[in-house]
Amino acid sequence: MGKLEIIEILQRTRTGEYCTVRDWDIKRIPAVIRQKLKAHGLEKTCDPSNPVNSDDSLADAFYKAGYEVALELGMLCETTERIVRISEEELDAAVELAPSELLVGEGSDGTKIKARKPEDPYPMVFGASMAITFSEENWPLITEGIAREREVDILEGPSLVTVHGLEIPSGTPFETLAGYIHGRMNRQIRERVGRPGMGAIGCTSSVTEYGQLASYGVPGGFRPTDLSLVLFPSEMKVTHTVLHKVVHTLNMGGYVFAGSPSMIGGMSGPPEGSTLSAIACALLQYPVLQAHAGGGEIYDIRYLTNVNREGLWALSVTHQALSRNTHLLTHAIASEVSGPVTENLLLETLVGVATIAASGTAIAAGPRPAGGKLAEHLTPLECRFAAEVSHKASGLSRKRVNEIVKEVLPRFESRIKTPDVGKPFREACDLKTLQPTKEWENMYIKVKGEAIALGIPLDPG
Amino acid sequence: MDHSDLLQGIRQAIIDGDEEAAKSRTEAALTASLEPMLALQEGVQGALNRVGEMFETGECYLPELMMAGDAARAAISVLMPHISAADQDAARRGKVVIGSISGDLHDIGKNIVSALLGAHGFAVVDLGTDVPAKNFVDAAQKHGADIIAVSTLLTTSRAFTRELVRLLNDTRVRERHFVIVGGGPVTPEWVKSIGADGYGRDANNAVALCSQLLSGRQRPPLEEPLCIGALQ
Repeated sequence: MGKLEIIEILQRTRTGEYCTVRDWDIKRIPAVIRQKLKAHGLEKTCDPSNPVNSDDSLADAFYKAGYEVALELGMLCETTERIVRISEEELDAAVELAPSELLVGEGSDGTKIKARKPEDPYPMVFGASMAITFSEENWPLITEGIAREREVDILEGPSLVTVHGLEIPSGTPFETLAGYIHGRMNRQIRERVGRPGMGAIGCTSSVTEYGQLASYGVPGGFRPTDLSLVLFPSEMKVTHTVLHKVVHTLNMGGYVFAGSPSMIGGMSGPPEGSTLSAIACALLQYPVLQAHAGGGEIYDIRYLTNVNREGLWALSVTHQALSRNTHLLTHAIASEVSGPVTENLLLETLVGVATIAASGTAIAAGPRPAGGKLAEHLTPLECRFAAEVSHKASGLSRKRVNEIVKEVLPRFESRIKTPDVGKPFREACDLKTLQPTKEWENMYIKVKGEAIALGIPLDPG
Repeated sequence: MDHSDLLQGIRQAIIDGDEEAAKSRTEAALTASLEPMLALQEGVQGALNRVGEMFETGECYLPELMMAGDAARAAISVLMPHISAADQDAARRGKVVIGSISGDLHDIGKNIVSALLGAHGFAVVDLGTDVPAKNFVDAAQKHGADIIAVSTLLTTSRAFTRELVRLLNDTRVRERHFVIVGGGPVTPEWVKSIGADGYGRDANNAVALCSQLLSGRQRPPLEEPLCIGALQ
């Protein structure tokens, strides 16, 4: 069977079974998740005392159950309240035909993302950073600072909060203009730092399709060899906004980089349920969004992070399930809560990134200092550290990473609910040299030394 | 069946999120001469308090919280005609119109706040996601809302919260509704800059905020916004 065409998906958003968003959220998703957890004996399998799973049979059982969830539920199109169902043959074909390698960017500056298995020594690719908001004045500085970090493979970068000094209301021409400017400046910065072929992820300054249409594949903007960011708004749902981005990316001959957040405590319930939902969402990204790479992101609804015990466990099982059973280019995010110039930010990064690297994730993105909630709370230094861990924790055994996580977690987990948000960019870096302050650099050196002592073979520099 | 059994039956139906049972057991309780105010306070509110605790401790999840809110509304609809106007006013915790504003399709945060407000006895009108400012204003007028609660996870949507406050001012209904704002990019400084009345960092903060706004004699708009749980 050939690949499902996007036109067929679009048509299903108009003709699929009708279901209200509310019924989908509080009846359909919970019922199917509960039934699958029970049928596969997966209830209460989360082990917070061992946050990094190393039981292959458990990961495989979750994969099987998650696959069934994908087939039984499908995706609800929130725009039309119609269910986009995918048959077993269609799902199998989409997964089978998905790439197992992708060169993002061009030439020697480009980065090859490869499908990985748990404990795979091929380095997990790292794209930095999350869409932390920055002023127009500081946005080029922080973006350049990140692009200069040679360990960072792919430039995602922060988002603009204004355009020509004015707010960017969603869905207005301001957003179209912001997307265009963001795409062009991101490209110019890659050229300025001597990495013209470096891959990028865009466009983080715009969540609707307008910024995407204005920045991706247009002259001077993101190239079709960059990753086009296409995110589901919430688990097991798609929208026409998301599908606009898919259609545009495919029209440009580009790469769809998909993602969706499953929430522990949300519609899919406990950590085990969110794991099933994340696996199902990741699989459905291939037929529904025609993804080239895509993910199973998980957050704990209580803290909006995943570097707590349940979050790490769910991430580890999800990515082991996907990487053991498919050749998909899986994507994950380690989502921190502490801010720059705190040791906790680096410790949270360490456990989060090491967990997914050892679990077979192909590409990670981050960091997200202060949970992404505070403007300008981001520096190039934590991007460097996250990328270093991403590369060097790849190949470590899951058991070893579990021991590292167990050692490090007690140092920060009591502060997850009340994190130290640290300092903003202008207080953490010299804005002329883009180098970290001595205080911040010393913290980095200290935590890096601790990571090396724990067994992560980072370059002591 | 004695009164404690009747109350327990109402409580359990709500905790189970069973609308039909909540309605029929409340009707049966009234037929058995249970005091309507007792049913409301100890049956319905008792159940909602318990569900709120269960969500906090991870004993139940968002769907159960939302379904309990639906079941509670079913029970309340049976009880209200039997409660005097004065007691209804006393029991009423306030009405909140809530939604994610224009351009924002994220619903998780909004759903949690909506469900927790319901679980704490507020009447909640959930407008969904991607809601234009005008629709918030229209819905607040239509339902006589005490509070307009706006969720936004995006800076590009956050801009519309300013438009909402401006629209309330321009249509001269600002003094009828408190406006509270929450979500990732929202800070107390932002709330103050747009002239809104309150900010809560998380869902529990939002519930505390609504309670405090409606507990005193203060009327909107506040000179200084009430902000709870801001990151330091």
